[in-house]
Amino acid sequence: MDFFTVIEPIWKVLAVGLLLGAGLPALFALGVRFLDIGRVPATVDGHTRVGTTSVAKIAAGSCFLVVALVIALGLAVLIDSKAVLPAIGLG
Amino acid sequence: MTEMLILVLVIGTALAFDFTNGFHDTGNAMATSIATGALKPKVAVTISAVANLIGAFLSIEVAKTVSKVVKIQTASGAPVSGLTGHRLMMIVFAGLVGGILWNLVTWLLGLPSSSSHALFGGLIGAAIASLGWSQGVDWRLVISSIVVPAVLSPIVAGIIAAVGTYLIYRITNKVSEERKEKGFRWGQIGSASLVSLAHGTGDAQKTMGVIFLALVAHGTVNSDSAIPFWVKLLCALAIALGTYIGGWRIIRTLGKGLVEISSPQGMAAEAASAAVILSSSHLGMALSTTHVATGSILGTGVGKKGARVRWHVAGRLAAGWLITLPVAAVVGGICWWIANILRAPADGLLGILVVFSILVAAASYIYARSRKNPVHAGNVNDEWDQSRTPEAATTDTQVRQEA
Repeated sequence: MDFFTVIEPIWKVLAVGLLLGAGLPALFALGVRFLDIGRVPATVDGHTRVGTTSVAKIAAGSCFLVVALVIALGLAVLIDSKAVLPAIGLG
Repeated sequence: MTEMLILVLVIGTALAFDFTNGFHDTGNAMATSIATGALKPKVAVTISAVANLIGAFLSIEVAKTVSKVVKIQTASGAPVSGLTGHRLMMIVFAGLVGGILWNLVTWLLGLPSSSSHALFGGLIGAAIASLGWSQGVDWRLVISSIVVPAVLSPIVAGIIAAVGTYLIYRITNKVSEERKEKGFRWGQIGSASLVSLAHGTGDAQKTMGVIFLALVAHGTVNSDSAIPFWVKLLCALAIALGTYIGGWRIIRTLGKGLVEISSPQGMAAEAASAAVILSSSHLGMALSTTHVATGSILGTGVGKKGARVRWHVAGRLAAGWLITLPVAAVVGGICWWIANILRAPADGLLGILVVFSILVAAASYIYARSRKNPVHAGNVNDEWDQSRTPEAATTDTQVRQEA
């Protein structure tokens, strides 16, 4: 039994894991950061409150949306890779 | 009639294993969310139970081969020639009892150990006792499909979680602690649900395969036929119910014992676990959810500057992992031996009944022991301190009772 044949799939898991398992949380973190940067004091009816600029909201929203879409796509591939992969041009 | 009774007992035992599998592994997905307060304990176990239930039905293709390491089935799932009826039933039954008992002991000790290793260990022990050392077990496969992944998977998961944690803290460096904690709760809940889903797809399948094998041994179904729907339904319900009960002792060890965890770390840990479990099962490699989740949680401790990792707790867990398979094997072997001595009376029913009684008695004893030092939704998040480990706390209670 070749030791490297045994551990070969582990490298793939590490690669996919780093991309999705560490990459997606980083993207999520970027969204949290955008929301924080966009915090500005807003005066409504004479009271000062903290609001978020719409640019920051859009930027953060896009980050969260991409995370959600990638997860949905990932699950779809897991459930039915034969049907899903060709549909997105990876068959 | 006797055969039917034996079949019912074996299926019941398989479902009992599935149930212990559920509560033993709740912590893998939910410990971090409970520890950080992202979810109330009861809400967390409910979400996890539902995700497990859905996951169990998502199973793309249920493997009919329970485990290739024990040579009791051919590639198609049919029993190997010469191994029929009661002989096969005894191996499956003894293996299940070995797995359940080890799961219960480790739960009492608050030790997250692999349910799959417990089941494989029990089956290996029963197969050695029944078929012989090399006739019963494919040792090369034990090394390549159980031992090597068990060593590598926590390391891989730990690296991914550490990188994730590092990136998260790098990116959100300037965000206040409070806003960070709040923002990452959502990510944490989402990623923890994914881990539960993955657990349902992977682990419920194993029991489905075991019950299918028992049905084939009994002759109710042919090994070529599909797994009956009621088998899938019962297994899904058993694992979901177990998850809902919540293995609080293990949740406590994972959530509070290893690393003092914050929301960003919780998300990094669960995302790493989900990615590793789902991608490896897609590649046809069955990793233990427990090993992966524990590695991820340790990884987030390593990836965050100044975080305290309790390596002695990690060492205790690693020691538990090392002995899981051998101990379950010994118990499985002994159970097979008892059932085999008594295989003549009542067409083997007596032997099965005696082992079943031993299982019930041992389980009741372990449950009674756990009541001396209960861990539940109300105290699962208490400060971690050495005096509250199960053994120490037991002596503590005894002292108080004597005083």
